[in-house]
Amino acid sequence: MSAATGSVRFTRGLGFSLLALGVALCASLALGAGDVTPLQVLRWALGDDDGNVGFVVTELRLPRSCVGIVVGAALGVAGNLLQTVTRNPLAEPDLLGVSAASTTAVVIAILLGASVTTLQVWVAVLGAMCGCALVLAAARLRGVGDDPIRLILAGAALKGVLTALVSLVLLVDQRSADEIRFWTIGALAGRGYGELLGVAAPLLLGVLLVAYLSRPLAALALGERVASGLGHRPRLTRWLTLLAVALLSGVAVALAGPIAFFGLVVPVLARALVGPDIRRTLPLCVLLGPAVLLAADVVARLLVRPSELPLGVVTAVIGAPVLVAVVRAHRLPRL
Amino acid sequence: MMQRLGARAGANRRQGPGPGPGGTSRSDLSPRDAWLLRWRGHSLLLPRRSLLGLAWLLLGLMMVFIASLSIGSMPLAPQRVIAALFGSGDPLDIYLVRELRLGRLGAALASGAGFALSGCLLQTLTRNRLAMPDIIGINNGATAFAVASIVALPMSFAPPMLALVGAVTATALTFALAGGVGVRGYRFIIVGVGIGAVFGALTNLMLARTSIDAANAAFPWTVGSLNGSGAGAQTMLWIGLAVCLPLAMASTRGLSSLRFAEPVALGWGVRVARLRLFALALAVICAALAVAVAGPVGMIALIGPELARRLSSHRSVPVLNAALAGAILMALADLLGRTLLAPVEVPVGIVTALVGGPYLIWILLRGDSPRAL
Amino acid sequence: MSEFEHDRAQRATLEASGIAMDYGHRRVIERLDLRLPEGKVTAIVGPNGCGKSTLLAGLARLHAPSAGVILLDGEPIYSLAPRDVARRLALLPQEANAPDGLTVLELVQFGRQPHQGWLRQWSEEDQRVLDAAIRAADLVELADRPLESMSGGQRQRAWLAMAIAQTTPLLLLDEPTSALDLGHQIEVFELIRSLSEEGGKTVVMVVHDLVSACRYADHLVAMLDGRIVAEGTPTEVVTPELVRELYGIDCRLVIDPLSNSPILTEIRRCRS
Repeated sequence: MSAATGSVRFTRGLGFSLLALGVALCASLALGAGDVTPLQVLRWALGDDDGNVGFVVTELRLPRSCVGIVVGAALGVAGNLLQTVTRNPLAEPDLLGVSAASTTAVVIAILLGASVTTLQVWVAVLGAMCGCALVLAAARLRGVGDDPIRLILAGAALKGVLTALVSLVLLVDQRSADEIRFWTIGALAGRGYGELLGVAAPLLLGVLLVAYLSRPLAALALGERVASGLGHRPRLTRWLTLLAVALLSGVAVALAGPIAFFGLVVPVLARALVGPDIRRTLPLCVLLGPAVLLAADVVARLLVRPSELPLGVVTAVIGAPVLVAVVRAHRLPRL
Repeated sequence: MMQRLGARAGANRRQGPGPGPGGTSRSDLSPRDAWLLRWRGHSLLLPRRSLLGLAWLLLGLMMVFIASLSIGSMPLAPQRVIAALFGSGDPLDIYLVRELRLGRLGAALASGAGFALSGCLLQTLTRNRLAMPDIIGINNGATAFAVASIVALPMSFAPPMLALVGAVTATALTFALAGGVGVRGYRFIIVGVGIGAVFGALTNLMLARTSIDAANAAFPWTVGSLNGSGAGAQTMLWIGLAVCLPLAMASTRGLSSLRFAEPVALGWGVRVARLRLFALALAVICAALAVAVAGPVGMIALIGPELARRLSSHRSVPVLNAALAGAILMALADLLGRTLLAPVEVPVGIVTALVGGPYLIWILLRGDSPRAL
Repeated sequence: MSEFEHDRAQRATLEASGIAMDYGHRRVIERLDLRLPEGKVTAIVGPNGCGKSTLLAGLARLHAPSAGVILLDGEPIYSLAPRDVARRLALLPQEANAPDGLTVLELVQFGRQPHQGWLRQWSEEDQRVLDAAIRAADLVELADRPLESMSGGQRQRAWLAMAIAQTTPLLLLDEPTSALDLGHQIEVFELIRSLSEEGGKTVVMVVHDLVSACRYADHLVAMLDGRIVAEGTPTEVVTPELVRELYGIDCRLVIDPLSNSPILTEIRRCRS
């Protein structure tokens, strides 16, 4: 009986997320900093061909929205995986320093004269991997893993160190400072199909891993012993999960820079919609992540027209209340 | 009348723990490791370890003081520094020491003491050894407001006051959203992390949206540096310390009972809620005024109190020792930053983060219950 | 015994009249009256969630009632100065954990805090009381051991010694033996007994286990759903009907010939 209601809930949640994504995508295409109004976009969509409008939508807004979809989905899923594997509702690539590790790797690569294309993705992934390994090492320790606060504080510390490193690089190398400074906040502006193509390989690898991992992770959520008893290998699962997190957040960082709190918000929403089972929350994160990210991006574009806010600022402002809500929930729930 | 109990008690202690067959000799139950002074119904219990630690820290402070004044782009021998301090010797030395280096050293010492005092109080309040103003958003709030003043107005308009307003805003938000520092210290910390991230994002936003010149002017504010500190801010900080440190020292007895579970402290008749609010206010003031001088320098608030705890009796909250340790560490970090990559000057905030961050991670990973104070 | 003589003279009364207590928005205790017999051990028993710990928190000045009044020596306890209360009423909460590295001696020293001041940090009286408290709890050998290195029973005795050092006529304990094995439970209960019998203290404790409550308390208060359903000496109060009402089990009662306290036998779940 409960399975039936669960699946009804899942279908409903899925429908809702699809709807949200659709609305966000339309908004992302129709609204923007430029002169093209939603009405013009609608007329263009209905076949009233206006070259200018068509150009803005297909050449400027569509690529940007596509990047937003990829980044949102990657970060949402990465957050969900990280929370499950550390059994910590506050785990998130940004808070735990994974994004910062990735950013630092990219900044160092730029300092060493790397170009802004394909190499960057793998550098970002490598950085994220190092961050993940540290997080896992911390989470596996007795007394740290079962204490959400210490994990977060460890992440904050790691982030502090890495930010200092980045600052040091900025100080030494004024040339790339300005570019990096904008990029380190997180933004979608100026990204397009070229960048998307560049991250295709790690993204695909990450998606395949996630598809394989959803079942063992659901078992792992019941505890290590139970998972072993059910015939899974917790160690392997954990490492593979972190590899997936590294790939996905590396992709996101390479595309858009570190985006604060995002990996926290999406899984919280997904769990609120369909409950804690990761086999249900994962697909939802894939849909909700882009929806939330596109919405945040639209806000970032509209709020201070004609210029735009960095996306990271918007997500930080959205994410902080969610963080507060999670912490204020009667007890910190164990995942 | 004066009794010295320390020596005997210390000897007893060295027998090692565990009830042995010779247990009867251990029946002396006077407080350990302390000097007891009694006079006409009054009594003072002086923790020996803390006083020794204080002596060590004062010695260290003196050494750092001389070293900081000696080392620089134009090195001076310590004797010449001392002479110049007292106004004798080469006029150039006097100018260099008194006008140039002393001000900067003063800023380092005062801000280090402010951060460490703030950290020590916050750690006691939240009963978490890792709480500090840079992680729980106080520094970020102060920075955001100070940067706003620099970016929005052509000249920097009273950064100390604005930093204070920002720190109070961030803390008040955290306090309200977390529902008090209360029983669940962790809530306060995590909410603080969130609030801090928002203010951090706002600071970045302001820097990204202004001209390069303004951004460069505000750069010290983002990493923490002693380069641009104004004399007015430093005076405010010294006044703040002169008020806060004695107040904090006067409340150490209550503070040390805050390290127990709340009902225990209440059972001893401590006004827990009031004391917490008071200590939080002191912590915010110290951190904000220190940020106004040095920018959001991290980790001093962690390492200072930690060092002080190593050098103090674990029975009480080492407020004074923490402030001294923070001052020493800050001056050392500044010295390192000035000399390490000379002539490029590494801002002190970067030095402390690069040194302190790994230390913090080491504390966390060492695994022996860092939660307890 | 001589160790307790100094506070024999003191007496304090504690009573609650018409109190209601809320936990969040939920009313946990409704119109409750209670007067604690002086110099006796009172045990508050009842099923989980009956409000017994909340009542104790109210009596201990931790959680103000939303209606009614709690009187300490005839004065409303919530309007007294906290320090003043702490000299008359000592409390041992359930999760009393100490900072790491604290030794028994140092913990017991903290018990003197309500009696100390800036110029009275360690008087001869303090030293005398500390000696007596540590001896009473039989911890002389362990005085320099850090708390975390001791067994649960020893640690609980150390906390009791701290409360003894507070030299209060009243002692409130919230589940003093939870998470202790049988041997350690008895170790702690016997110390509590001696505090009342020899030291003349009024002891109030919330106890989970009905049998231990019968064995070690003079006065039993049985609570259910925020009300007191029965009150009196264990032999008067504990009946098969009460046990069924409180815990939903059927049983037979036998009087233990040695301790003269009731014991439950033939326990099974109630089928109704």
